[in-house]
Amino acid sequence: MKGLADSVIVLSMRRSYHAVLCLALLTGSSCAAAVDQTVASVEFDRDVAPILDRHCVVCHGPEKQESGLRLDVPKFLHVGGDRGPSVVAGNSKQSILIRALTGKDNITQMPDGDDPLDKTQIEIIRRWIDQGAQAPEDDAVSSRLPVESDHWAFQPIDQPRPPDVSDNAWIRNGVDLFVFARLNEESLRPSPQADRVTLIRRLNFDLLGLPPTPEEVDRFLNDNRPGAYDRLVDRLVDSPHFGERWGRHWLDVARYADSDGYNYDRPRSIWKYRDWVIEAINRDLPFDQFTIDQLAGDLLDDATCNQQVATGFHRNTLYNREGGNDPEQYRIERIVDRVNTTGTVFLGLTVGCAECHAHKYDPFSQREFYELFAFFNNCDEPELSLPTPSEQERIADIDRQIAEIRKQTEIPENAGPKRQTRIDELKKSRPKPATTLVIAERTTDPRTTAIHIRGDFKERGAVVTANVPRVLPSLKSTRGRFDRLDLAHWLFSEENPLTARVTVNRIWQQYFGKGLVETENDFGTQGELPTHPELLDWLADEFRSGGWQVKRIHRLILTSATYRQSSQQSGSAAERDPANRLLARQVRLRLPAECIRDSCLAVSGLLSGRIGGPSVFPWQPEGIMDVRREPRPWTISSGTDRYRRGMYTHFWRTSPHPFLTTFDAPLSDVCSTRRTQSNTPLQALMLLNDPTFLECAAALARRILTESPSNERINYAFRLCVSRTPSPEERKSLQRFIELQQEEFRKHPDTAAALPGDGATSPTGDPVELAAWIATARVLLNIDEFITRE
Amino acid sequence: MLLQTDKSAIEFELSRRQFFNYSGVGLASAASMSMLPGTPVIAGNAANAFVNPLAVKLPHFSPRAKHVIYLFMAGGPSQLELFDNKPRLRELNGEQIPDSYVPKDNTKRFAFIKNDAPLLGARRRFRKHGQCGMEVSSLLPYTAGIVDELALIKTVRTDNFNHGPAKLLMNTGFGRPGRPGIGAWTIYGLGSEADNLPSFVVLTTGPRGPRNGTQLYSSGFLPTIHQGVPLRNSGDPILGLTNPSGISRRQQRQAVDAIQTLNAERFAVTGDGEITTRIAAYEMAFRMQSAAPEMMDFGSETLQTLDAYGAKPSESSFANNCLLARRLVERGVRFVQLFHTDWDHHGSDKEQNIDNGIESRCREIDQPCAALISDLRERGLLDDTLVVWGGEFGRTPQAQDTSPAGRDHHIETSCVWMAGGGIRGGQTVGQTDELGFFAIENPLHVNDLHATILHQLGLNHERLTYRFQGRDFRLTDVGGNVIKQIV
Repeated sequence: MKGLADSVIVLSMRRSYHAVLCLALLTGSSCAAAVDQTVASVEFDRDVAPILDRHCVVCHGPEKQESGLRLDVPKFLHVGGDRGPSVVAGNSKQSILIRALTGKDNITQMPDGDDPLDKTQIEIIRRWIDQGAQAPEDDAVSSRLPVESDHWAFQPIDQPRPPDVSDNAWIRNGVDLFVFARLNEESLRPSPQADRVTLIRRLNFDLLGLPPTPEEVDRFLNDNRPGAYDRLVDRLVDSPHFGERWGRHWLDVARYADSDGYNYDRPRSIWKYRDWVIEAINRDLPFDQFTIDQLAGDLLDDATCNQQVATGFHRNTLYNREGGNDPEQYRIERIVDRVNTTGTVFLGLTVGCAECHAHKYDPFSQREFYELFAFFNNCDEPELSLPTPSEQERIADIDRQIAEIRKQTEIPENAGPKRQTRIDELKKSRPKPATTLVIAERTTDPRTTAIHIRGDFKERGAVVTANVPRVLPSLKSTRGRFDRLDLAHWLFSEENPLTARVTVNRIWQQYFGKGLVETENDFGTQGELPTHPELLDWLADEFRSGGWQVKRIHRLILTSATYRQSSQQSGSAAERDPANRLLARQVRLRLPAECIRDSCLAVSGLLSGRIGGPSVFPWQPEGIMDVRREPRPWTISSGTDRYRRGMYTHFWRTSPHPFLTTFDAPLSDVCSTRRTQSNTPLQALMLLNDPTFLECAAALARRILTESPSNERINYAFRLCVSRTPSPEERKSLQRFIELQQEEFRKHPDTAAALPGDGATSPTGDPVELAAWIATARVLLNIDEFITRE
Repeated sequence: MLLQTDKSAIEFELSRRQFFNYSGVGLASAASMSMLPGTPVIAGNAANAFVNPLAVKLPHFSPRAKHVIYLFMAGGPSQLELFDNKPRLRELNGEQIPDSYVPKDNTKRFAFIKNDAPLLGARRRFRKHGQCGMEVSSLLPYTAGIVDELALIKTVRTDNFNHGPAKLLMNTGFGRPGRPGIGAWTIYGLGSEADNLPSFVVLTTGPRGPRNGTQLYSSGFLPTIHQGVPLRNSGDPILGLTNPSGISRRQQRQAVDAIQTLNAERFAVTGDGEITTRIAAYEMAFRMQSAAPEMMDFGSETLQTLDAYGAKPSESSFANNCLLARRLVERGVRFVQLFHTDWDHHGSDKEQNIDNGIESRCREIDQPCAALISDLRERGLLDDTLVVWGGEFGRTPQAQDTSPAGRDHHIETSCVWMAGGGIRGGQTVGQTDELGFFAIENPLHVNDLHATILHQLGLNHERLTYRFQGRDFRLTDVGGNVIKQIV
């Protein structure tokens, strides 16, 4: 009764006639009767606001809006929160406010965790609603207030001037000025430039994902003209394999896979999207257009075929085809994933946290999550057929023939089953063009979007329309409503600081192992602060003002002295900054899964350099497909398709190729902005014993024996695999190993014959020598340096 | 000895020792760095050069169990045929379910049956067993013999009536793909005590894989080292376990030595601790090559033991997997998960039904489950080993079909039992209504089950978190209470 007594006092102090009302109620008269007899009209400011102020506004006011609700301004009572308008004028029974205050209809009684309001207070509010819920207009308050935040990532991008650095011998470009100045503050020095072998390997792995050939290394080592490094960068950035390497990074965030996931994990054809990514990166499609095509290509005027293919970005979502499911539930899941992925990839924000409730740390309400959701709620999910010109011709030709046969119906000898057979034959011979999954905006029967209470799609709350979070710059459109195209353009608007920052940070991360903001997928208040905020903004500004050209940013980073540093760990920096956040050196990074296999295939001469096309099925161990609910064959691709780059391996979500998952390739269930780098015994077993790698070792051994005279073989093997000549110690231990193996195989010639390939056809005529070299090649394909970019 | 004397030998030997001493916790300073449970440790760059992500970590509080064997019955076994005896349901056989249970509206409440599907009484005989008098049906005669070890929970609720999401929820704590499996969480929290076997092992039997495949035991957003390693039924039990033909064990040792020597050279040049981690990984791989076949070999088991399980050497069966589970636990493996598929008994199909289909499944699992508990008990392993049995959901009191009979997926109640690992056996938790539709006493959720499993391992489910995309994730998401009655 404490609450009641308190409110009696408060009320009686405020308005004496309320005390009369209260007393009337306390004496036990029926509420309605008492009120009717005692009070004429209830006024918001005088009667209602004090109750709300005292009991509700702490959680539903200007500071906090639990459940997206504000109760300090009358307008917001009508706008309501996540469940919809709080009051229905003239009908208190239907008003959520009253249901909440009385704890009816499965709504937790408010105030949550506090004593309920007393009957009198509720009665006053009830009467105010029944009398029309009127309140004086307050024009100063818009129903959509901007949210203020002083969090760094939401502030406009500065155009910082690079600091002046007195000692400029090391400096090569703007990047270095920021890095050097920061090191200087800590009295640390940058590392010297790495040697040329390391540089060409680093560039090759970072830009192509493949090791350089010995010839390429020699050419670079012998290029004594000025600008050799820049020329190398240019050559690699312009290589068609650049699009593969950087395309794969993008496919990680796009959660690309070749199957549905979930129960049946049916195959899907969406490789045209994968190929579009590679091609777009190769031709340096500016990042704004790259993004607009993917988020809203279908909404562009006269959208090209390519722009429609690009919308496959948001068709990489999982698809549950299990019998007996509610398709709406999984349609909603796909949209939620699209919202989350968009937030992560372009804004670096964890908007997904607001799916079920207001974001715990960042200024997003649940309403705002569903406002983003609304952009994607009318995405239809068709399949696009992509006939080649010759297929198109052939189809037209066949259709013409069928039409002709049909025209001949009047001719009796052509009638009947024979005619139908011919038509069927023609139909069968019609080519089946490649298809791909795309997004198309729903035009008929557009859906309205409502907040899903606690994330439950069956509990629809307030209706919302598409919009962007209020803490970010507002969205402008001349048409009065917003669609995906507006959202895509907004990402690149002058005022939006996030897209540029997040994107350059992710590029940086690929080159240094970590971003300038280490939490590359969380630029919110719980994320890490940038280690070099001015450098981040300088790069972001360069990116934006340079027309969003991605290769330009690559070149800027690659030609910096910061990038070219040695990755060796030594001196005071290694002790004082072991995590290398201040960039006093480069880093050693284990190659990603695909690149490890690609490198083995490349040095052994087996690799097929073909770019694009349907996914392929390289060798994999028996039994991998057995873990599936629905069996699917894994028929090993024929010819050179067995030796395609790892990124073309068909990715079954519920039974991925074990090599990929063992070496940390993402599972493609959700957007992945950074791969973990584990270092495990299972990886060792795979590189040591998997037939794919033994096959590579055998091919590499033959190559060494064929291409190199006997006294040069160890050197040549080293140069093929790690681009350098061995140290005397390394040469000695390898020599000892070869001799040991020759001894072993000589003692057991049958084992030599058991290795892959035909030992009798050893290039040198000696099967034991070939076997010993296969064993040696196997060692080289297993050393840390071979699978590491230094 | 794998190292020759050279300029890097001393340096290398030091870091090598640091690494190899991981299993003896506390020797290396680095090991202590990673002893806080829930501290995300990624084998990455120099910052954590010597931190082994699988180093044994201290739990939050004194644990009751060190190992878990999870016997997952994929498809959703019918609790009404096995553990939840409902005489009233038998009386009402064929009648419509009252509106108070299922309103006759158009809301979709079941995967396949309509809201007005008729009731179906169980055609199985139930008896009370053991000192505790737990009711078990005639389908599980062996399980009936160990009821005094079991805590039977009759009221486990889940969120989704489709297999895929329900399996994900039961195995990863969330109904969509992308989260770590329970085993991955456990390894993340406690590290590994097996220094020559993987710490989270998955064994599968049945005519097909469980739905969602590897998504059920992946590492999700945790570092990949935490992923479940399937022990395969054919070929190498672990991928790459066997040397290529033509390479002897001695040659493999020579090859590993050569690799280690070259890696040590590179470590001397670069100073990158990641190389020492790789050296240790190759050593463990080499050990695993002999340890795993030894573990798989039933030659050292007595005929009596084999018969108790119904296991036959080199056969793929649930019985063999139960015996393997014990052998894995004996060798320090932390989390063993068994999947046995084909419990999806809808009826009408000649195999997928609660007439003969469920009988076949029960014959396959009943004796081995009981043998596993007894065997663990006899060897003194049961106190340390938590065994969990259950599927992804229960089945409806209504019929989906009557000939052959079957039931639809039911999210309101299902039966799960736990034994060992500090669980107080011989008791039944929760009661369902007279039709077995709703929980009327002690309603529990999947999250509660997970909270309890972690609790037995000495982990507080609210403190075992991993920061991913700006949020601290938990196995139990935002729910979960330890089931106090059984711990």
